[in-house]
Order: sequence, then structure tokens, then C-alpha cells
Amino acid sequence: MTTIRLTVNGQPIEAEVQPRTHLADFLREQQLLTGTNLGCEHGICGACTLEIDGAPARSCITYAIDCEGASIRTIEGFDGDAPMAALRAAFSTEHALQCGYCTPGMLVTARDIVTRLPGAPEARIRKELSGNLCRCTGYAGIVRAIRAVMAQSGTPSGPGLASVRPVAPTAP
Amino acid sequence: MDHDIARARPLSTTGVGASLPRKEDRRFLAGEGEFVGNIKLPGMLHVAFARSAVAHGRVLAIHKPAGFEGAVFTMADLEAGSPPVGPIRVLSSLPGFKPSSQWPLARDKVRQVGEPIAMCVAATRAEAEDIADAVVVDIEDLPAVVDMLQARDAPPALVHEEWGDNIFLETLVEGGLKGDEFEALKGSAAVKVHRRLRTARQSMAPMEGRGVVCTWNTRLDQLEMYTAAQMPHINRAGLSETLGIDQASIRVIAPDVGGGFGYKGILLPEEICLAWLTRHIGRPVKWIEDRREQLIANTNCREHHYDITVYADARGRLLAIDCDSVIDSGAYSSYPFSACLEAAQVGSILPGPYKMEAFRCRTWSVSTNKPPILPYRGVARAGVCFAIETLIDAAALAAGVEPHEARLASLIEPDEMPYDNITRKHFDSGDYPEAIRRAMEAIDLPAWRARQGTPEPDGRLIGVGHAVFCEQAAHGTSVYYGWGIPMVPGHEQCGARMTPDGRLELRIGAQSHGQSLETTLAQVANEILGIDPAHVRLVHGDTGVTPYSTGTWGSRSMVMSGGAVAEACTLMVERVRDIAAHLFQVPLDQVVLAQGRVSDRAGVQSLTLAELAHVWYRQPQRLPPGVNPAGLEVIGGYKARVDTGTFSYACHAVAVAVDPGTGAVELLDYVIVEDAGTLVNPMVVDGQIYGGTAQGIGTALFEEMRYDSQGQPLASTLADYMLPGATEVPAPRIIHMETRSPYTTFGQKGMGEGGAIAPGAAIANAVNDALRPLGAELTELPMSPRRVMAAIAAAGSAAGAVAGRGAA
Repeated sequence: MTTIRLTVNGQPIEAEVQPRTHLADFLREQQLLTGTNLGCEHGICGACTLEIDGAPARSCITYAIDCEGASIRTIEGFDGDAPMAALRAAFSTEHALQCGYCTPGMLVTARDIVTRLPGAPEARIRKELSGNLCRCTGYAGIVRAIRAVMAQSGTPSGPGLASVRPVAPTAP
Repeated sequence: MDHDIARARPLSTTGVGASLPRKEDRRFLAGEGEFVGNIKLPGMLHVAFARSAVAHGRVLAIHKPAGFEGAVFTMADLEAGSPPVGPIRVLSSLPGFKPSSQWPLARDKVRQVGEPIAMCVAATRAEAEDIADAVVVDIEDLPAVVDMLQARDAPPALVHEEWGDNIFLETLVEGGLKGDEFEALKGSAAVKVHRRLRTARQSMAPMEGRGVVCTWNTRLDQLEMYTAAQMPHINRAGLSETLGIDQASIRVIAPDVGGGFGYKGILLPEEICLAWLTRHIGRPVKWIEDRREQLIANTNCREHHYDITVYADARGRLLAIDCDSVIDSGAYSSYPFSACLEAAQVGSILPGPYKMEAFRCRTWSVSTNKPPILPYRGVARAGVCFAIETLIDAAALAAGVEPHEARLASLIEPDEMPYDNITRKHFDSGDYPEAIRRAMEAIDLPAWRARQGTPEPDGRLIGVGHAVFCEQAAHGTSVYYGWGIPMVPGHEQCGARMTPDGRLELRIGAQSHGQSLETTLAQVANEILGIDPAHVRLVHGDTGVTPYSTGTWGSRSMVMSGGAVAEACTLMVERVRDIAAHLFQVPLDQVVLAQGRVSDRAGVQSLTLAELAHVWYRQPQRLPPGVNPAGLEVIGGYKARVDTGTFSYACHAVAVAVDPGTGAVELLDYVIVEDAGTLVNPMVVDGQIYGGTAQGIGTALFEEMRYDSQGQPLASTLADYMLPGATEVPAPRIIHMETRSPYTTFGQKGMGEGGAIAPGAAIANAVNDALRPLGAELTELPMSPRRVMAAIAAAGSAAGAVAGRGAA
């Protein structure tokens, strides 16, 4: 066991963790913050995305002991955050979620997109989303929700793509 | 036909037809969904499984690690209990079906990589995995049966020795002309096209895997199991049969479930193991499937082979289909759908929405040393659509007509509805030709044909293609009883209860895991009772409090649960009116319920539902004698007037650019013309179409569970098994038609699967259209760059061989 000190959703925390425990397990099992869902535990699907020191990160491939001194924000930590409030409303309006399992990670990534890349065109939005998999929605509502929030913020997303796909396909 | 006709009633903003935002969303957006992985019970221990590393072998010995003997359990332990735990055996009454015995933990043999052998329990999952890693299993390797055609024709081994072969079931479906008349038709047909086609084995890969938490409630003497399940009542039945305890002693609760798509419509060996374990050790236990288990150990879907010949006339009009189809059903027959569902469906639905003179299809459900297959979204239809629709295109090419012309010449016409097709499928309604015409107009076929006349600046090849399909949904007793499997859908019920404050509780036995039933069924209640959907609470997925249901599968919930909710609410209307008539002291026919308020026709007396419920529960002294004592709790039951299913349908049209240098396929435009009858919530319907289409694009271009010659899976992470992301999936344009089903409550049709059915076929037709100048053709899914390049190379070498002969 190793002692770590970090901040989780604004609260200073000191905790004992095993060196092999990843951040998501630490948050879910020890801090009872189960809003962060685990989809693959190997860094591909993005379901466990949260903020470490203000930037999106995958909590399944981050060791808790590596977070000494870090500031962590999970989906439970966005109360009062205007971009997140706008995204939550837009996700519902645009039907950007169905089963809801990818949603917390998707929201954290979406918040990063609307705050870091205001006015980004749809192609860029989709590229930024490529680290978050959703098996239910086909991404249509998610992309629309992000564009809607950008438009509300006075930074409308760049040219829409109508029916034409945005970027060259990634070869499997 | 009545599609596109103005609606009989005004468009509601809260009832049937409204794009009401979802009641489910708030908790998921807050990160407050209650998935199985989030559930913790006091004293709970964690389970990990030691699983087979080989595809086929005899289990000679299982060595429990020293010091952990009490934390490791094998099938011998489970069988030593009273009553002993038995195997999963799915019987079918289909003649010739051979059942398999799947022991929850391997007993004598292992038949697939990842088969559970020992259950290990510890205080944390990590420690349980440490123990599982230390379990040593002596296995005598047997040859792995990997390829389904080899398994049928020249098996290197028998998966189930007692069978004498590797065939779960062989079926033959025939219709129309037979014998000499069929042969004469074949001989005289102007067009004959033959192909061998394959679709890859896939993983359904919902974002949440499976998971189980269970405990034994000593007060109720009852197993309480939380499990990520689509059909909890079926899981209860299966647990009862394998554990040897009565069903009332089992409560199965499917909480929030992170996507199903068929993957969670199964009785799990792990559920049986944990149910036994919690009782044996007296502690709550938990197992959460990790992604590696999901990909390599647990069920797959959709591995089809077709040897198919289509006969057509000189215009491309379909005359006959003659097909041999093999399905790789994997190692075991899963509960409840069995190993035969996929192949039997191939035999009956291959004709699609087409008319023809003769049909013959022989199918084999073959057992191999790979995970069992389950019915994935669309079940066999994705493969079937790929088979028939690529052959229709090939026939059109041979006949020298545009593919849509061949389809229009062969489709069931709207004035022939309802129509019984050559395999006796009863099409309830629809205008298939119109769907194709609209799709061709929307994709602008002439524009793409014109563009094909000029080489692209980047050297890519342009293609355009389409596919049409029908989606039989919510099919019931008359379709399923003949299969004799553990699940035959009958009548669906809804329990409805008005609470003392006038809110409505609806209890259904189906389960919503993304389908939005908490919202859409509240809309149905609003439509009947006028109650605010915000005042309706849906309770679902809990055998302890809901009526029996076969669950959520086959696009059935909006028809079946929707119909049951409507029936229950209609009964509730009568109860409310009866109570009001007594209170108002007026005849029953003078009482009306509208907009959530009950009034007398004179407009003198009026009560809200809350006020009326308050009287019933809290002021019964006000109720005069003669009031119906049954009160404000009802059970409504439903079965469609004709239960052979609703037929949604769609035409998907797509334009692609294929890079002949890399094999990459880009989707340039994608149009979907869809008819699902009355749309209860159009926003939700579009969401189902978008999501299904994304999965279908995965089937078409990306997703493939490959195995090596030893039966080892070659995709064990999501880096190897490629799910489509936001950059791979376009935003399709959806155009709705609305031909109401004549048989359902509101004219609605099941439609949850359709999006996933057509993309493989439509994109294949477009890719082959693009590759036609090279003489190349794709006959396998997915159309990965490797396969595209192989097809181009094969065409090149064939052309070279011809050229070479010419030179000699």
C-alpha cells in the first residue's frame, strides 16, 4: 500500500492504494464515485474519461499512485459548471445518449471540445471524439449536441457536412 | 395505402407521436446510472474465473492453488451440492435438433477458448484474478474445429462426440414450384447468377459488458440477482432449471443495462455459478465481465456462409432462389434462443420482400470450437440481406438493367398487402417500391452515374448502391411455438397502479437498456389517460414486481409492452370513471376523462386524477356502495390481433469512394428511407436508426472476430476488434414513410434492429459498383482494406491470365 494525496472534485483526499490499482478503480471502489464507467480497461473506448489537472484522461490506464498531487474531476464534479450544464441539456435535446454507459466519458470529452476548440468544424469535432466509442447512437446526436452548444456560446461550429462524411476513413 | 396520410388525431406534444425528451437522461447525464458494476452489497466478495486457454481439449485435472483450496470451486463442487447444479441444455422440438450440454464450469471437456473452468473468490477482483492465475489445469489437446465448412464436411474432430457429426440442425425450406417444374424454371431463366458469400463472425460489444451481483435473502429464502440482462424472466427460468430451485425462490433484477443488442439475451454460466456460490459461502458475490472476457470468452454472432444461385428473367425480375447456407453456431446452444435460430431464420427470410416462383434453401447449424453465437441486432437479417441484395445487383447487371429496376420488378406491391410470401411470411403492410423510388431520388442516382463518367482527380473509384429489407418484429406465439425452445412469447402484460397522489406506476416484464421505454411508454399512458408523462414511473426488468415477459428482443417492446400499457391504461380509465360516477352521483355514461381530469358531461363536477386517487385511498368514507372494489390497480394484457409480426422496412442507399491503392472505403452520402408505421417518439426512432446503421457500418467495413487454425481468437482488445467511431460513421439522411400496421394498438411497428440490417448489403453493392471497371467484386464482409485489395489483385491476375492466354 502507498499513501497518496490528491484532490478529487475539489476535496483534498489522502488514501492508501495498491500500486497496481488504476485511477478508475480507486475512484469507484474506494471513493464510491461510480459515475466513471469502465468500458475496456485498456485505453481504447474512452468510457472512463475524466479530467486530470483540467485535461481529459483515461482513468483506466492511469495508476492511482501516479496521481499524487493531481486534481481529478469526475462526472460528479461538474455541478455549477456552465459548459457542462449546456452540454447536458443539449445531449438530452439532441438524443445524444441511449443506454448512458459511454455518456460520462463522452461529456467530459465534449466539454473539452467546446471549451478548447470553439467554432471547430464538424470534421474536427468528429476527430476529437474518435477516442470515445458509443455503441448506441451512431454519434449523430452527440455531434449535433456539441455543435448546438458551440452555437449557443456564440462560436458556431464551422461548415456542416450535410450528408458528406467529414474525414478520410481510418483503415482497420 | 395510407402512408403519409394526415394523422387521424392531432399531433400530440406529450403522447403518441411526440419527440418528447427522455425521462431516462437525467441520471445518466449526472453519472448516476445504476449499472451492475456500481452495485455494492455489505460483505460482498469478488469472483474471477480461470478459463480455458485452448479451444478443444479433455480436462484431465484441475489443481487448486495451495492455501486457496477454499476459494476455488469447480464443477465437481457445484455438482456435490443438493440439488446438484446441472448443465445448460436448450431443447428444441425442431426435428433432428441435437442439444448440447454446457456445464457452467467445464467438466470433462473444454470446447472453446475462454470456457470457464474454475471460479475463484476473494475480497477484491484483483486478488480473485491472482488466484485464478494460479489455478493449473491439465488438458489433453484435441484438434480444434475452426472452420464451419470443414466442420460439416471433413471435421478434424467432433465438438460433441455423442452426436457423430458437428451438425446442431439441418433444415430445408421450400416454396412455390418444386421438382421438375423448379428444374424447368432454372433451365429457362434468362439470367442465372451464382455466388459464394461469407459474413464475418462478430462481437456485439455493448459498451458495458455483462455482470452479476447476487445474494441469498434469508428472510425471503430467495436468491436476489442483479444482472445485466435483456430478459430477466427468462434468466430466472433458466436459473431455476439449472439450479433445481423453484422460480418463486429467485428474483432477477436487471438494473440500468449499458447496451444489449442481443449480447445480454442469454442465461449465463457465470450467473449459475454465482447463484450457487452466494448460497454456498453465505456472502454476496460479484462478477463483472472485463473486455477481454467479452471479446474472447463470451458469445459472438453472425458467421454465415451462402452458396446461392438466383434466377431472373431478362428484365432482372426475380424468378427463383436456390441456396445452401451454413451458420457457424459455435460450441454450445445458448439459452433460450438455441443454436438453431440463426440458420432457421436464414431459411425462412431469405426471400426478403420479393415475389418469386420457386424457393429452396437448405441450412446447416454447425458446431465449432468457438464461442456460441447469439442473435445480434437484426439476427440473421444482416447476412440474409447481404446475400439476396448482392445477388439482385448481380442479376440486374447480367440483365443489363439498373439494380433498382430489378428490385421494382420483383417487390411486393402495396395493393397486394397484406401479403403471404413464398415462405408464408405474412407481410402486414407497406409500400416497398415507393421506398426505393424515394431513396433513388434522395441519393440522386443520375448525378452519381454522371460523376462515374469522369475519372476522379484523386484516382479513387466512385460507386453507388442500395439495399432494401423487411424487419419482422414483435412476432409472437404463432411464429415461435414451432421451435419448441424455452421461450415462446404469448400475451404481454402491464401492471398499472395509481398512487394516492395521482401518479401512475407501470410495471412491465421487458427491460429498457437504451430503447427509451421509460419515456415512450409514459407517452402511451399519456395518450390514453391524459396523465403528464412526468407523473408516470416505469418499473421494468425486475421479476419480483413485474409480470412475466420474454423480455426485450426482436424489436418487440414498443408493440408488445406498448400494447399492454395501452390496455392497462384503458382499464384504468374505466376504474377512474366508475369511481367518479359514484362520487358525482351521475350515470357512468355521463363521466368523461380528458387531459388528466375526470368530469361530468354537464361540466358541473370535475376532479383531477390526484384528487380522485386521494378520495379512493384516503377518504374511502366518501365512496358510496356499489363502487368497484378493485380500485386503482389493474393488469392489462395484450397480443397483436395478428401475431405474426409487424413488418418495418427501409431502403438504404449509399455512395462510396474506393481507393484502389489502399483499399479504403469512404462513405460519401448515405440515405435511409424508413417505414416503421406510427412513430411513438420520432426522436427515439431516429436514434435507433442512427445507432443501428453505425453498427451495420461496422459489419460492412470493420468488425471481424478472427480465429487462427488452433481456434485462438485474434482479437482480444478493442484495438484488434475495431468498433466504428465518430470518424467512421456519417450522419445518414433519414426519410420517413408511415404505413401503419393494421394489427397493433397505434399502428406502430417494431423497428429497433433495422438500421443494422442493410448497411453491409448497400455498401457492398456500392463498393462493387465502384470496382466494376477493374472487374473486381467483394463477396465477404467486412470489406476491410485487405479484402478490397485482395479482390482487386484477384481481378488483376484473372485479367492477366486472360491476357496471357490471348497472347499465346
